[in-house]
Amino acid sequence: MQLAKLKVGSKGHVSHFTDNCMACKLLSMGILPGTQIEMVRAAPFGGGCYIKADNLLIALRKSEACIIMVR
Amino acid sequence: MKPAPSPTPEPKIALIGNPNSGKTSIFNQLTGLQQKVGNFPGVTVDKKTGTLDLPGGIHAELIDLPGAYSFYPTSKDEKLVVQSLVQPGNENYPDAIVYIADVTKLEKHLLLFSQLKDLGIPVLLALNMADVAEQEGLQYDLEKLGRKLGAPTLLVSGRTGEGLEQLKQLLVDLLAQIPATNVPIDSTQYRLAPEEAKLITQVQGDFPGYTPYQLVLLAHHIKWLPFLTPTQKQVIEQAIENTGFQDLQLQVYETMQRYDQFTPIVQQARDKDGLGSASFTERLDDFLTNRFFGPVVFFGLMLMIFHALFTWAELPMNFIEGAFGGLNTFLQNNLPEHWLTDLLTEGIVTGLSGVVVFVPQIAILFFLISLLEEVGYMARAAFMFDRIMQFFGLNGRSVVALISGGACAIPAIMSTRTISNWKERLITILVTPFISCSARIPVYTVLIGFVVPPTKVGFVSLQALAFMGLYLLGIAAALLAALVFKLILRTNETSYLMLELPEYRLPVMRNIWLTVWEKVKTFTFEAGRIILIISMVLWLMSSFGPPGAVKRAEEVARRSAQLKNLDETATQDLIDAQVMEASFAGQLGKFIEPAIRPLGFDWKIGIALITSFAAREVFVATMATIYSIGHQDDEYSIREKMAKQRDPITKELIYSPATSLSLLLFYVFAMQCMSTIAVVKRETKSWKWPLIQFAFMTGLAYLSSWLAYMWLS
Repeated sequence: MQLAKLKVGSKGHVSHFTDNCMACKLLSMGILPGTQIEMVRAAPFGGGCYIKADNLLIALRKSEACIIMVR
Repeated sequence: MKPAPSPTPEPKIALIGNPNSGKTSIFNQLTGLQQKVGNFPGVTVDKKTGTLDLPGGIHAELIDLPGAYSFYPTSKDEKLVVQSLVQPGNENYPDAIVYIADVTKLEKHLLLFSQLKDLGIPVLLALNMADVAEQEGLQYDLEKLGRKLGAPTLLVSGRTGEGLEQLKQLLVDLLAQIPATNVPIDSTQYRLAPEEAKLITQVQGDFPGYTPYQLVLLAHHIKWLPFLTPTQKQVIEQAIENTGFQDLQLQVYETMQRYDQFTPIVQQARDKDGLGSASFTERLDDFLTNRFFGPVVFFGLMLMIFHALFTWAELPMNFIEGAFGGLNTFLQNNLPEHWLTDLLTEGIVTGLSGVVVFVPQIAILFFLISLLEEVGYMARAAFMFDRIMQFFGLNGRSVVALISGGACAIPAIMSTRTISNWKERLITILVTPFISCSARIPVYTVLIGFVVPPTKVGFVSLQALAFMGLYLLGIAAALLAALVFKLILRTNETSYLMLELPEYRLPVMRNIWLTVWEKVKTFTFEAGRIILIISMVLWLMSSFGPPGAVKRAEEVARRSAQLKNLDETATQDLIDAQVMEASFAGQLGKFIEPAIRPLGFDWKIGIALITSFAAREVFVATMATIYSIGHQDDEYSIREKMAKQRDPITKELIYSPATSLSLLLFYVFAMQCMSTIAVVKRETKSWKWPLIQFAFMTGLAYLSSWLAYMWLS
């Protein structure tokens, strides 16, 4: 399932990425396959989301959250 | 032990780390006021360097490289890190590296460290935020960590200064060992993929002195690395083709290998887990990034900044203007009457005053912005407004610049430095001057009465509504222009949000003061130079004219004043008006009259447009001089005088609603501020963008004024 579709408050583990280019940047920030991600909240004006990956708080655009597949 | 051969006279040390690792705090702690800002050649990224005094009387040059996550850059800033480190012999190639990692996020912060290790440059691993780790009870076995990772490791704190003396000592030891450790490396920390290994053997011969990993990086970044010769490029391109080297796949492969390698090391060296401080931040964010309250709090904060820019800056600005005015009077009274005295007082001192007067606003804005940045709030603003701003080709952080632009475009444009995407930053810089700044207020005040009657509709006065309309017009122009630039400007830089939201922390005041100091210094010395030159040119233009013309004008004025029996002040006012008309500025005003006729402007307004270039509010003073009431330049008496002006031939009112509206629109849109131009030049590091900006803003001003005048007359 796409991370973008995760309900606010629920958690998942990264299984893989569907875009290599964006995956590289996510990997370098420490979001790896297996990392636990919690969907914390949606952005005020829609579009983006606020996630927690291990102990990192990260803001993502929708397009960025769509390429992360979670279990 | 044989005496270590002394290293190069001033060893270069690079400070490297992820964004949010607290690198800048460490840099400020280590160098204090001994820092300077320069340029990386060819790009618009600032290069911060400082002098580092080490034990044993060694002075080292410390370079603060931009924060980066890895050697696979996504912004100009990150590219610089790669560019400086993949080419041995590059002017920024360091003798040693101090790597800063946040100890509370060690597993996330070691990727770049692991990559650095493959460059063969001696590295010191400084684990920052020691104070936070202690509070949370987080503990590492430093000796074990250092041994497994292969670098001297220590705990430091950019906040308290803890560990920095030890850091300096370790750095001295590291530098002393350089000749011994300076053996070519022939391997990498991770297991090379077969394609990479093959590529290395194929190109090695052409790149003496490069480590295998540097060669891999050359292949990854061949498209943009600027220093490769055509032959070198060809060699690498050939090898890429021969080996089937896949850029992205290999990037993922390498990154995963590195994580697999250092993650267990970190876990094994961790003696005690911390409690984690994220929970406080998360609870605060429940409110501060809330769908409803988030934006409300943000606009509240922005309102406070806006208010501070207006009210706190007023007193020091008045003081500065008063002090320079006093200095001018003193000089005029004590120096012989000569054009050199005038140059000194009206050209140089007035120009200096025009530079220094911006300092309070710059200092206040940067104090407040870096306070918000320092506590970790700015990243939230960028997150909340990303979607809206993205639509206009801007960045979430652009909101801050656009709002500050309502006070003054100069500090606002300087504040765009934190936008890492170049296209988004450039667009923000280009459109911010459309926002009506405080210098336009006097112009609006003088002119609005000629267009809108002082009647009220219900509770609201029509003039107040018109005033607000002018502001909204500026905002609309800024957003629309941004949209246009978004479509026109091409970039190969992909835009990302992927923004780390740092934990909220108490600000380190030292960092804030140093930012304020640096911004004020750069503005005064870099933009200030240009402002001073333009203001001298403007002074020359308005006080000199073709030979004899000024003198003749003076005599004519004196004679007619005698005929009319005017008192001393009125005589001087009349002389000033006639001299202004005869000056080059007056001539230029008359020269451009045919061009501004279609807008409803005469040559007198033309002069005001030219002199307004010093600052828009100069419009008022110029009007006062032209209508020879120079000694009572308050807005009310000028309005009175202007309201009576009639065309000498047609006897129609000059400041008719049509002309006045046209003039108002001109002031809303036109780029009439040399200080803004100077700052844009400084921030974009070329004359190209300020000139483009000047052209499109003035073009839009001309067009809208012309349409308005056509419509009303």
